[in-house]
Amino acid sequence: MRIPGLGNAADNPKHATPGDDPEHHPRARDGRAPNVMRIGEWVPMRQHRDEEEVDFAIVGTGAGGGTLACRLAEGGVSVVAFDAGPYFRPLEDFASDESHQSKLYWTDERIVDGENPLQMGSNNSGKAVGGSTVHYAMVALRFRPEWFKTRTLMGYGADWPLDWREMWRYYDQVEDDLKISGPVSYPWGPHRRRYHRRAHEINAAAKVLARGAEAMGINWTPTPLATVSAPHGDAPPCVYRGFCTLGCSTNAKQSVLVSYLPRALKAGAEIRDLAMVGRIETRNGRATGVHYFREGKWRFQRAKNVVVAGYAIETPRLLLNSANQEFPDGLANSSGLVGKNLMVQGNQAVWGVFDEEIRSYKGPPSLAISEHWNYDDKGHGPFVKDFFGGYSYMSQGPLPQLWANTQASAHGLWGEALVSEMQRYNHVAGLKVVSEYMPQERNRVTLADVKDQYGLPVARITYSWCDNDKALNRHALKFMREALSAAGGREVWDQGDDTCHLNGTARMGSGPRTSVVDADCRSWDIPNLYVCDGSVFPTVGGVNPSLTIQAVALRTADRILARRR
Amino acid sequence: MKRRVAPVRVEAAVHPVVVLAAVAAGAGLLTWFAAGRSKPLGHAAGGRSYSPRGREVTASAAQRLNHASTMLAASVLFDSGLEHYRGQFFNRAMYTPIVVSSVILAASLHGAGDTDPGSSRVRHGVQALAGLTGLIGFGFHAYNVGKREGGYSFQNLFYSAPIGAPMALTLAGVLGVIAERVRDADPDEPRLGGLPAGRSLAVATAGMLAGTTLEAGLLHFRGAFQNPAMFVPVTLPPLAAALLVRAATKPEGASQSGAKWGMWAVSAMGVGGVAFHGYGVARMMGGWSNWRQNLIDGPPLPAPPSFSGVALGGLAALELIERSRFRF
Repeated sequence: MRIPGLGNAADNPKHATPGDDPEHHPRARDGRAPNVMRIGEWVPMRQHRDEEEVDFAIVGTGAGGGTLACRLAEGGVSVVAFDAGPYFRPLEDFASDESHQSKLYWTDERIVDGENPLQMGSNNSGKAVGGSTVHYAMVALRFRPEWFKTRTLMGYGADWPLDWREMWRYYDQVEDDLKISGPVSYPWGPHRRRYHRRAHEINAAAKVLARGAEAMGINWTPTPLATVSAPHGDAPPCVYRGFCTLGCSTNAKQSVLVSYLPRALKAGAEIRDLAMVGRIETRNGRATGVHYFREGKWRFQRAKNVVVAGYAIETPRLLLNSANQEFPDGLANSSGLVGKNLMVQGNQAVWGVFDEEIRSYKGPPSLAISEHWNYDDKGHGPFVKDFFGGYSYMSQGPLPQLWANTQASAHGLWGEALVSEMQRYNHVAGLKVVSEYMPQERNRVTLADVKDQYGLPVARITYSWCDNDKALNRHALKFMREALSAAGGREVWDQGDDTCHLNGTARMGSGPRTSVVDADCRSWDIPNLYVCDGSVFPTVGGVNPSLTIQAVALRTADRILARRR
Repeated sequence: MKRRVAPVRVEAAVHPVVVLAAVAAGAGLLTWFAAGRSKPLGHAAGGRSYSPRGREVTASAAQRLNHASTMLAASVLFDSGLEHYRGQFFNRAMYTPIVVSSVILAASLHGAGDTDPGSSRVRHGVQALAGLTGLIGFGFHAYNVGKREGGYSFQNLFYSAPIGAPMALTLAGVLGVIAERVRDADPDEPRLGGLPAGRSLAVATAGMLAGTTLEAGLLHFRGAFQNPAMFVPVTLPPLAAALLVRAATKPEGASQSGAKWGMWAVSAMGVGGVAFHGYGVARMMGGWSNWRQNLIDGPPLPAPPSFSGVALGGLAALELIERSRFRF
């Protein structure tokens, strides 16, 4: 509860920007951390000395690490969570400026290669306390139950060592924690509890998706989103500013930064911002702590357990970089699978021009969705499914700079042509896919010879599509093209090469030969080393991964705490 | 020598909303004056003579009914003004409820101050017109919901034209018409459409309470009942409505204190709801310091008093059933 005018309103636009520089000087120190919900305020933070052996050192504070840190701290264990990025105050630090907000992305040097090199940064990695959830699109979808057993039930990929019914309960929990705003009833999959906030009003771009889906005879629904449509604590309802993927400055968006981390701090967790973990130390087959760089020097934090939650590039990089005499191939790597099976998701789009004004940038970018092709395994007519896996597609809301970039790169326009195309910006709508790519061992993260600013070898990211991926791309583009045309789109064109999300480089499984971690995210090789982020996914499914990462993190916390009792 | 002078052009920058407010206020004022003239003189001195007590009851009930229609009309005036301004008067027809509700507001206010027995033809006509306008508005809103992608889905019931809102104008009109009918009725045995006035009015207002509850329920469901207080307008009014129906079945002269308290509770809830909605505005981004946006996008301040309006109608019904004038 908050009463305005008493100095505790979470949102006074007249307030000046803070005087400190979070990108160069840590904010979480001296026994306090920023209160991200209130301008200029702080919350007390319990702190640990480096020599003190804490129960858990967690590397990364995003969907996996931040969620886990919260639940572990609430379970009464001591936690220090490290993040290489700054501790932003969304109400004060986030500008309505696309260029400026690129400060949220992980743009440290990385090397990409393969037949389809990935574009790293905006669409897949964040460098901030709260991780990529600070700039994610908030799309909060559950896996299709069969996807936890794709090898057994559908003949592709690999089985998860998890039962979908158990996951359903953790999905319930994370949806409640984040107050997901979703439709009154969801058209696909088994019964789920009603969302805790109603879906947002859909914008014109989402109506285009709806019209297209209705014309194609498939279901659509307002997208379940992690931004509240009615107040939740200090978070006001969404004001449809449209900068979601560049940092929400109102805190309506339930990123880990404003949802789980304040809870973690309250429960006694310590968060160290601008703290880059470079190596995990082991002795006698157990992890003993982490070496991290903060405030100009390398330090060592002792810990009884270490959790790596750096997302699917930094997690394998850290495990490989920690190779020592005991584990010459890198930690947790007796299977040789660390870094392998990197999976992104397809993010191709079709775009078209409409007679009426669309102004797709109003509101969250993906307000409507169709998951039809995640649940229809056969298809019919021209849309017979000739591939494994599925996809969902959503309406889109690119901001002007992103749109100009897309036109220049993917559409190849420049000069006069680009300028005149940009004149039609308000009349453009598109559909964009999130699709399931296959796990392949040749798609992997390895270490390069190049060193970064910390003196650590950078990641080399190798990625290529397989034939199944290409067949899926063709199907998705063809279907969306027809749907967009049916909705009234003209001059429809394909954006054929975009990808998003990172998963799978430390997969979970049911045996130490075929996987890196077990169902509890604990590594097979080192009993007090865990991996808790998208890296553990054996398959990716055709939905955005964040909700599943968080559900797995909640489960992992429960399992860890149960074992300690 | 002729000096060239630029022609003086007087231009007043008047906001269209100001024009609309002036038109609405003017229409209301005209109604007020017209209502005072339309009464058939000497009606009260007609052939029959009624017992003073019966006349006192019907006059009081009629006034109370006009209080009810006043409350509802005011709620509709401000609520439709706010919401249609939010909708930028996209359709010209969106001006209608603002003018009509200010006309019926004037008529109702006039009736509220009228202690004479006997109806007013202008008031009667205006109330009936408003009732009809509400029904037409309902048609417009229902069309607006249905034409959207997804048809009559929850999504469209939440976010397109609120389907039940125009009915508040109909309720105001119906209660206003009944006020005039009660004035004309036989004070010793007032009847409405051939039925006992008190009982039929009690059942009618119970139905109105149920309808208003549905509307509040829909919109509070949209707000996910995020504050426990949001459950009050979907629980208290149905209980009060049940008491009202029970009151209609009680023998004449029996005590109606339960139903009476129920009606007063709903009336108070309607007024208190404004404060709760004010708190809701404070919880929007920027709170009251951003009132220009949040009054429009936050919970509507003028909406809850429509409950009070209907509850006042229920009190009038109880008065007629009990056949005694309430003190308050």
